[in-house]
Amino acid sequence: METEVKEVKEKIVSVENPGITAPNGWQPVIIGILCNWCSYAGSDLTGTSRIQYPPNIRIIRVPCSSRVDPWFIIKSLQTTADGVLISGCHPGDCHYISGNYYARRRFLVTKKLLNFVGYHENRVQFSWVSAAEGPKFAKVVAKVTEDIKKLGPLYRYKKENF
Amino acid sequence: MDYSKQIQEIASKLFAENKIDYFVGYKQNSFDDSQVPFLITDPAEIPKLVFTDRSVFNLANYLKPDHTKRKRVGLVVKGCDSRALNLLLTEGQVKRENVYIIGVCCEGVLNDKREKAQNCVECVMPDPVVYDEMLGTPSGKKKYTVNVDIKELAKMALNERADYFESIFENCIRCNACRHSCPLCYCAKCCLDQETSTLYHGANTSSGAMHALMTWSLHLAGRCVDCRNCEKACPSHLPLHLLHKQNENVIYENFQQHLAGMEKDDRGAFYKYSLSDPDDFIL
Amino acid sequence: MARVGVFVCYCGANIAGVVDVPAVVQEAKKIKEVKIAIEYKYMCSDPGQQMIRDAIVQNRLTSVVVAACSPRMHEKTFRKALSDAGMNPYMLEVANIREHSSWVHQKDKKAATDKAIDLIRMAIGKSIANEQLHEISVPVTKRALVIGGGIAGIQAALDIADARIPVTLVEKSPSIGGRMAQLDETFPTLDCSQCILTPKMVDVASHPYIELIPYSEVIELDGYVGNYKAKIKKKASYVDFSTCTGCGTCTQKCPVKVPNEFNMNLDKRKAIYTPFPQAVPNKPVIDAEHCTMLLKGKCGICAKFCEKGSINFKMVDEVIEREIGAVVIATGYDLWDPKPYEEYGVGRYKDIITSLEFERMVSASGPTNGVPIRPSDGKVPRNVVFIKCIGSRDEAKGIEYCSKICCMYTAKHAILLHHKVHDSHAYIFYMDIRAAGKGYEEFVKRAQVETAATYLRGRVSKIYKKGDKLMVRGEDAQIGQVVEVEADLVVLATAITAPKDNPALARLLGVSYDKYGYLSEAHPKLRPVETAKAGIFLAGCTQAPKDIPDTVAQASACAAKVCGLFSGDTMKKDPMISTINNEFCSGCQNCVKVCPYQAIVTEEIPLGPGSKEMRIVAKINEGVCQGCGSCVAVCRSMAISLAGFTDPQIINEIVAI
Repeated sequence: METEVKEVKEKIVSVENPGITAPNGWQPVIIGILCNWCSYAGSDLTGTSRIQYPPNIRIIRVPCSSRVDPWFIIKSLQTTADGVLISGCHPGDCHYISGNYYARRRFLVTKKLLNFVGYHENRVQFSWVSAAEGPKFAKVVAKVTEDIKKLGPLYRYKKENF
Repeated sequence: MDYSKQIQEIASKLFAENKIDYFVGYKQNSFDDSQVPFLITDPAEIPKLVFTDRSVFNLANYLKPDHTKRKRVGLVVKGCDSRALNLLLTEGQVKRENVYIIGVCCEGVLNDKREKAQNCVECVMPDPVVYDEMLGTPSGKKKYTVNVDIKELAKMALNERADYFESIFENCIRCNACRHSCPLCYCAKCCLDQETSTLYHGANTSSGAMHALMTWSLHLAGRCVDCRNCEKACPSHLPLHLLHKQNENVIYENFQQHLAGMEKDDRGAFYKYSLSDPDDFIL
Repeated sequence: MARVGVFVCYCGANIAGVVDVPAVVQEAKKIKEVKIAIEYKYMCSDPGQQMIRDAIVQNRLTSVVVAACSPRMHEKTFRKALSDAGMNPYMLEVANIREHSSWVHQKDKKAATDKAIDLIRMAIGKSIANEQLHEISVPVTKRALVIGGGIAGIQAALDIADARIPVTLVEKSPSIGGRMAQLDETFPTLDCSQCILTPKMVDVASHPYIELIPYSEVIELDGYVGNYKAKIKKKASYVDFSTCTGCGTCTQKCPVKVPNEFNMNLDKRKAIYTPFPQAVPNKPVIDAEHCTMLLKGKCGICAKFCEKGSINFKMVDEVIEREIGAVVIATGYDLWDPKPYEEYGVGRYKDIITSLEFERMVSASGPTNGVPIRPSDGKVPRNVVFIKCIGSRDEAKGIEYCSKICCMYTAKHAILLHHKVHDSHAYIFYMDIRAAGKGYEEFVKRAQVETAATYLRGRVSKIYKKGDKLMVRGEDAQIGQVVEVEADLVVLATAITAPKDNPALARLLGVSYDKYGYLSEAHPKLRPVETAKAGIFLAGCTQAPKDIPDTVAQASACAAKVCGLFSGDTMKKDPMISTINNEFCSGCQNCVKVCPYQAIVTEEIPLGPGSKEMRIVAKINEGVCQGCGSCVAVCRSMAISLAGFTDPQIINEIVAI
């Protein structure tokens, strides 16, 4: 299973700012916000199973995907992150019964709004990963890392230059 | 569309029967043909009340400051205004028994260029959804159309669109007039003014403005009635409707419910869910 | 100014084999809030914890970051180390540099080390915003409510009552006993079901700590764990139980005959009746839907003959209230209706019966006095065909799951048939034989050997009438041939289902249920008797199909949980819950709507200090709140904060990278 990100030889351009190219050896920073009961437990299982995945993701734990405020996503993109991954329990399995149903609606509108104001749609991605899906978590991280790497570093709306 | 006389009569009756403490309507501006909101407590001022196709502002905004919900108000609302009022009722900000609602079946209002305003051209629900008295004849729900501006913007290349929005965010001076004029922004202390927000973000920077406007539009998602009070109030003339219409479109396409405040106790798309909500954007 | 201690664990070679721990420690020391940063081979060990305790005291630390394995492993351990050193245990943050770094980035040690440093920065940032939290004490009412008086409910009630905790046992039908009372003998011992059940039923009735409320239903449950209020509707029985002696004269004299549900409608009962002879309580009730006196105002023979004058046609339903600390749901199972199997002639041919109907026939006190008969002509059958998996494991017509008990009870039926009708022959059409319990495989073997039952592996495609026999056409897959059996009687092992009322009951109690109606356990592996709602437990088939030994075990497990819950005068609760800041709350009540546990209500508070005018704000019940944060994200005023996951904490984590 391909969990390593291939070395990209060509110059990588920041897709929202085509005039800017990534410095040599640039690695994206991806912030992952995972729900404690399913996705975080699943990511622990990935570790216990020693399944390897790209090292660009930094994980923040929340009790439920419904705790995720769109504010966190905007803040992440404006400061340290080139991309954001939010992961929760599968619909119907939420430890808190209905949290992920509300979160699901917020996620879609936020994602579309961010794309509307000029972020590439792959900058923010979402997944449902259960506590038993160790391999899936690795695949999700690999895919998101690959996607963000292609998009280049995020410059648009960054706090330090806007 | 001229209901000035009817509204004057109703207001007189309400004051005479001591059913209200104050009345909110429109009066002519002193220097041009536009109208301004008019709050009266003295029945002598009633003759100044007007209602025509220049009665643009959403008057539901004036119900916000009454935190005790004790004062009895009479007011005039058009279709969109009444939906905002319905949301205020649902969200516990106004008591129904303290409001006497004159609902006007709106035929559309004119903008400063004397053309029919964009939100009236695209209006889906001109009839009042909550009222004690209705003026005019209901014309029923119209078909939803995508706002022309967001349709155009969707066609733009990503970085061009980003440039366009950057120029909007740069020009925001964080005066908060949009918040003050929006009937649905009533929080005692706005989240954007709280310490936890500014401490980590900075107030009057472009990125701060981006955060503020994005957050504000997400708080209005599923609730905005497209009255355009915010745009009229904005001193920088920012096209704020773009963000609200974008969210409305996403809600319409995915959750089949875009008309905010149509029914009592309906808080909008963000405060409910369906087991069959779209899921395919999630890995 | 925050004073943070950072403790980085080697975890043997688990972390240190990939992550450069000394380098991580050096980087941590550069952060201005960090007053001490040390490394150790096994932080969770006694010496490791001692290092943490000493460092806290010597450096007057305000928060602690432990960089080690997942917080899901040792957060509790390290919290205890903090409290032993006199520090609030919630000032701890754990950076997961094992499951999230060393174990998953083994090939890129530099990246793993950089990531570990970032994760520690994030944990330091978060811990600076940590608040001192204290476990919440919630009072607890020491009374349990058991819903359902079958073997599951009976066992749970007895176990809890034996621990000297009062139990209220509510049962829908006039008697406790449930499905087990309908059985003749039980596998694998062939114990007489009534004989092993009735002593327990009598124990329940006479136990000083059990309040038995038969012929009743729970109609409302409010409150939260340790503090529930239940409303129970006692259906009018029209018989005064306190004076009735159970002589049975009324039943004898009653002229009305009604299909007898206990005997699967194979015979009739009276309008005033006890469900079965060994009923507990052994007092009759009047079925209001069939009693002539209650319907038309005529008859009343039972009252005329009752020597004690116990019959009271004016009785009404009564609603009573009980204060409860915990609930055990034990509502049992229903049977699947095999109507969709039209090709078997279900409903058309009288001699096709379900397994529970067969069970009633072979019961000594049943409608046919313990002899299986053909419903069409009353003759004793010789060739009996049993068909398993009717409705179970059937995506097309039935349900997907396996009903677990049918393989065993069909083997039992083969044995019982052989005992009752010596020259009978059993043919069993099966897909599999699932006999996984203790003594189960041996039992099936016994059925096959002792009775010479013919087990045919294959599905039945069609049943048709030939004269007065039924021709059962199916496949014998082991010889690859279509076979036809001439049957006198066909018994269908129908699937069991969750009780039809389960979804409604679940919504009333605030627990979840799956697509089949079975009530959901908190975790299928590790928490099979709890629900996601604290204080509500599940026993028996209401959770999933199971046999009697597993039911009894689960019921006793519920009792253990209840006793644990009631073991102190108050209960301790995790303090990572949401609280409302009244200053910012605008009373919009979005939180009230979104909370999955209905933990939020509204209250009126003065508009301002000393003001007489009031405004509405939300109020969170700290006993019920489970700390999900759904309310936080929908509060536009940012008036709610979730302890342990506040906005400042999470934002600190984001900007620390």
